[in-house]
Amino acid sequence: MDDAVRAAAIEVSGARKVYGEGPSATVALDRVSLTVEAGRFVSLIGPSGCGKSTLLRLAAGLEAPDQGTVRVHGVAPREAAAAKLIGLVPQTPALLPWLSVLKNVTLPLKVNRGASKRRARFGDLGNGQEPADMLGLLRKVGLGDVAHKLPAELSGGMAQRAAIVRALGLQPDVLLMDEPFSALDELTRESLQDRLLDLWGELRTTVLFVTHSIAEAVRMSDVVVVMGSPGHVVGFVPIGLSRPRDPRLLEDPRFHGYESHVRDLLRNAWSAPDAA
Amino acid sequence: MWLPLVVMLVVLGAAWTWGAHRFPYLLPPLRAVGASLTGNAAYYLKNAGVTLEEAAGGLAIGFVAAFAVGVLISELPVARRAILPIAVVLNVTPIVAIAPTLVVAFGFGPAPKIVITALICFFPILINTATGLRSVPSPMLQVYQSVAASRLEVLAYLRVPSALPFIFAALRIAFPLSVTGAVVAELTAAGSAAGLGTVISTASSMNQLAVVYSAIFVLAVMGALLLLLVTIMERRALRWHDSNAQP
Repeated sequence: MDDAVRAAAIEVSGARKVYGEGPSATVALDRVSLTVEAGRFVSLIGPSGCGKSTLLRLAAGLEAPDQGTVRVHGVAPREAAAAKLIGLVPQTPALLPWLSVLKNVTLPLKVNRGASKRRARFGDLGNGQEPADMLGLLRKVGLGDVAHKLPAELSGGMAQRAAIVRALGLQPDVLLMDEPFSALDELTRESLQDRLLDLWGELRTTVLFVTHSIAEAVRMSDVVVVMGSPGHVVGFVPIGLSRPRDPRLLEDPRFHGYESHVRDLLRNAWSAPDAA
Repeated sequence: MWLPLVVMLVVLGAAWTWGAHRFPYLLPPLRAVGASLTGNAAYYLKNAGVTLEEAAGGLAIGFVAAFAVGVLISELPVARRAILPIAVVLNVTPIVAIAPTLVVAFGFGPAPKIVITALICFFPILINTATGLRSVPSPMLQVYQSVAASRLEVLAYLRVPSALPFIFAALRIAFPLSVTGAVVAELTAAGSAAGLGTVISTASSMNQLAVVYSAIFVLAVMGALLLLLVTIMERRALRWHDSNAQP
């Protein structure tokens, strides 16, 4: 397939989203344009209220932009969702408390069964693939022993791991993650970052990852997109570090160089006066 | 663990005996109540059965109707705007006021009592069902929206299970309430031939206080057993819920 055609997994074009009306209206996104190439790991970072979560929600088809377009694999996000191209990991694990871990991660596979037909038309990863071995995936992230336990019996880190497995089990073409590790302590976060990179390395799906941690963004991504309030892109920082991204990378001076670059962009974004 | 209750019962028993001695036209001696219960056990049980049937029938109908309407108003905002105000009015209307009308419509048998009981149980179950169906946290809904789960799938897999704690809370009210409803219906709907409410009203008119209080005692036991039943059902259905994890 032509590389240029295959290139854009997520394409945002002049997206504008405003909440509320009149004088109290908030501009969440102000004509944002962004392209995420297929198979890339892209982070969105920015201060609170810069619109990064809104952008993620648009990509997931949960909301529609007021102006501009969002395309996932060339189609509207709702269509992509109907074809189960999208895997969403929200900020909180949002596991169903009445189901075991295993049942929780397999439920999305049970709903919308008509998706597989639609999926054959777009998407690169879903075609004719074996359905994921969910128990195996759980074991890979260290949840094999708790597969039959209820979410109430899990720690925060375990629940978030389960949420990631739930999304990955769909073998989605696009993985959307909304600050999935922000509620966790430092060490758990680093451990989960490792696991996510491992799993991603095998699946090589497209990832759009919202975070407010500079180190996390630089560590995980191919490109860091820096956003500023209110709802615009301040800059792109391609991360030229090779994969696999070892934990020892954190000592590397190039890593710190990238972090500084991102930090500078963020500082500018943060201190810029609010547009009307 | 039982000591506070036992002490309470002893105190109440003493107060009752004193009251029965002082006001013989108000309270029968406890002994007389005990004698009536043991002497006429079959009579009380038979009438308890009648009241229980009416209560169960009304509860079942009220539950099915309230659940169905609850799903309807939670899924369709227009239905909610149309139906909820009417349900509120229904809830504050003294149902017994329409009892005579129901007798005209349904005759003298158990039917008017079942309808009255159903009406009394309807509102708490409706409100709790509708609230519970709408209580699914947004992130949960978002995950399943992102895989385009259908409305029916969201209802079955997310909303109904989320609503269960709310529905059981309503049932804890509705189960004993159904007995009250059946008794009140027997007291107000003309032509009642059986049931503990009828027993009370007949005995009361003939000043048979011991019978009245025996019937009340049987009703109390019935109510307590029903509450126990719903608590057991709830514990099994909601094993996963926070409320069962707390001591």
